[in-house]
Amino acid sequence: MLGLFGTLSLGTRSLQTQRAGVEVAGQNLANVNNPAYARQRVTIQTSISVAGAMGPQGTGADAVAIQQIRNVLLDQQIGNELSVGGYLDAQQSALQYAQANLGEMVDRTGAAGTNATNTGLADDLNNLFAAFQSVSTSPTSLTERQLLLSRAQDLATKFHQTSTRLSDLHDSMDTSLGNDVTDANKLISDIASLNDRVINAENSDGGVANDLRDLRQSKLEELSKLVKVDATMAANGALNISVNGNALVTDRTVNDTLQTYDAGGGKMMVQLATTGTPLALSGGHMQGVIDVRDGALTTLTNKLNTIAGALISEVNAAHSGGFALTGATGAAFFNGADAKTISVNSALLGDPSLVQISGVAGNKGDNQIALALAQISDKKLPALNGQSISQQYSATVAELGQSLASVNGRLSDQNAVAKMLSAQRSSISGVSIDEEMTDLMRFQKAFEASAKLIATVDEMLETLVNLKR
Amino acid sequence: MRVTTNSFSTSLIDQLNTLSARQNRLQTEAATGQRLIAPEDDPAAMRRVLDLQSEGRGVAQFQKNISFLTEKAGASYEVMRGLKKISDRVGEIATLADGTKSPAELKIYATEVTQLIRQAAQFVNGKHRGDYLLGGTNVDQLPFAASFDADGNATAVTYQGNTDVPDVEVAEGSFVTAQMPGANTTGSGARGLIADSRFGADLFGHLISLQNHLLAGDTASIASVDHAALGKDEENLIYQMGTNGALQSRLEAAGNLASSRALSVDGLVSKEADADLAETLVRLNQTQTAYSAALQSGANIMQRSLLDYIR
Repeated sequence: MLGLFGTLSLGTRSLQTQRAGVEVAGQNLANVNNPAYARQRVTIQTSISVAGAMGPQGTGADAVAIQQIRNVLLDQQIGNELSVGGYLDAQQSALQYAQANLGEMVDRTGAAGTNATNTGLADDLNNLFAAFQSVSTSPTSLTERQLLLSRAQDLATKFHQTSTRLSDLHDSMDTSLGNDVTDANKLISDIASLNDRVINAENSDGGVANDLRDLRQSKLEELSKLVKVDATMAANGALNISVNGNALVTDRTVNDTLQTYDAGGGKMMVQLATTGTPLALSGGHMQGVIDVRDGALTTLTNKLNTIAGALISEVNAAHSGGFALTGATGAAFFNGADAKTISVNSALLGDPSLVQISGVAGNKGDNQIALALAQISDKKLPALNGQSISQQYSATVAELGQSLASVNGRLSDQNAVAKMLSAQRSSISGVSIDEEMTDLMRFQKAFEASAKLIATVDEMLETLVNLKR
Repeated sequence: MRVTTNSFSTSLIDQLNTLSARQNRLQTEAATGQRLIAPEDDPAAMRRVLDLQSEGRGVAQFQKNISFLTEKAGASYEVMRGLKKISDRVGEIATLADGTKSPAELKIYATEVTQLIRQAAQFVNGKHRGDYLLGGTNVDQLPFAASFDADGNATAVTYQGNTDVPDVEVAEGSFVTAQMPGANTTGSGARGLIADSRFGADLFGHLISLQNHLLAGDTASIASVDHAALGKDEENLIYQMGTNGALQSRLEAAGNLASSRALSVDGLVSKEADADLAETLVRLNQTQTAYSAALQSGANIMQRSLLDYIR
């Protein structure tokens, strides 16, 4: 039998228990808008019973733990999806830049009946071949020659600009990779530090350091966006992180960090800082940057260079065999070898009469070379896999568009999965104001009832004390 | 499924973002009239559009080439018409200059023929856009150089051009020339306008011969030699005028074909790139309605909580 004093103690414990419930509800309400927070519940357990005349008798209830409502499997899936999302985000962003740099947009809002694009290389290529045709009608016309040179210069400038922009994009992706590595190292360090705090908190106070674990989980998810990592929970509460089988964080220690290195030709890759082991990453923003840089963007740059190279080679081969109005022969039309270096022969720019249009020495009205130059437009070239220059260029544009459309589609699918997982996590771990207000009322009422119990016991003790009067 | 406080706002933001992106896309389609703007919109269609645009640009250039050739053929025809008049007149003179005419009358005819030679030389040395029309590809040198003696009589008219004529492309692989050489005595190649050894034509040579026979009062040679020779020149001129007419007709047909091709290419580009405006506007309207509904329903749901019902 507890007796009045035992009951008074029971009431006191009950007050503490209900107050803990109110505190947890308050904590939940305070974090309702914290995306890293997982709702908490106070675990109430019956106090140890005591033996009595009627058998074991209850002694009330205690708040024994504050439990975090979190699904570990769901957290892992979200981490994996974040890596996939980071990978695809990097690809989408880079390919969108590349598409903008190429500038190949269809614009039919110009003059009536026009079907021309305004900004891309395709228009300039078409204009160059049209200018060769124009010169073939008036081989001696300096106006036509000047127009031809102007078109050629526009094309060379566009090739150069596009190539420079793609090169700048390549450089900015290396910079982005470096920034990602810096951010990832900071997060690795933060996770190790949080491991230390979690281990200390849980060893000294017992229980679970829920809020520290929430913070650590959010750091892990940020890291997952950057690089796909494997995370395993140790028995002591530490979260051990590894990438590609290489430990980065074990307990409180940072085993290794990431760093970029030049894999040759200015191509930055990622390796472990201490051992120098190159990492074959399988997801995350970093790998997305590396894959799109070394994949679609490199292919695009190479193809542009091949197209420019083929154009230079074909035009020069035809042009150098011709004769200028001055009788000169053997001059190149274009200088350079690829998209970055292409330029129009400056001697021709200075004197349009030096453009070699005639195929017969002394016959200024001959246009054989102009016709041969114009025919390059439809010529199927072995260097371009049997396609013409225009066809190869349009195929290159379509290939870039296909890469971007494919990434857009995959990202859209991934977003749908990520939203679904996020909604699932929200349904499990998210805070509901309605629920918390209900809990608040529940614990408040219980607190009032416990207080009433204490007041009742107090009145009974008063009655007992006053028996002897 | 348990729905938490922030589920509403997160879901609403996602939905509004999706609807905003769709509205933006549809509004752009409506404003530009295009469903295809960037390669990512439809890569395969983009490739077809670029190929079609290349074809369209080529066709537009062929139209310019045809226009240029038509202009040049017209200029050549004017030369031929002038020469035909001269040929007609010298034919009359050759007929008139018979034994019934006095030496004085024959000399007057001779003077007229000399003037006609000068006139013909002026015609055949005409230019088109700065280039001599009848010099072949030797366009910067006077095609025919005429020589006269002290009395002003023509002694020779020498051809200084060549027999090459430049071709111009009027459709893929189809080349046309609107030029002919002033003379061709090589026995092959394009037929000369004034002289061609294969057909016995030599207008200037025959005019000088007629002039000389008139001056000499040799009516017998005029009747037996010059008359027939000038007939061959007339035939050659008529042949060239007929060829020119056929050429102009061909150019017109090629021009019409190029115009219809240009329209056809534009139609094909339109099919690939243009938006169905009716469908676009209906879909835009649907999306705007959905956006308004999402905003309104979101605002209504999110302003209610248990807090509204407890004291």
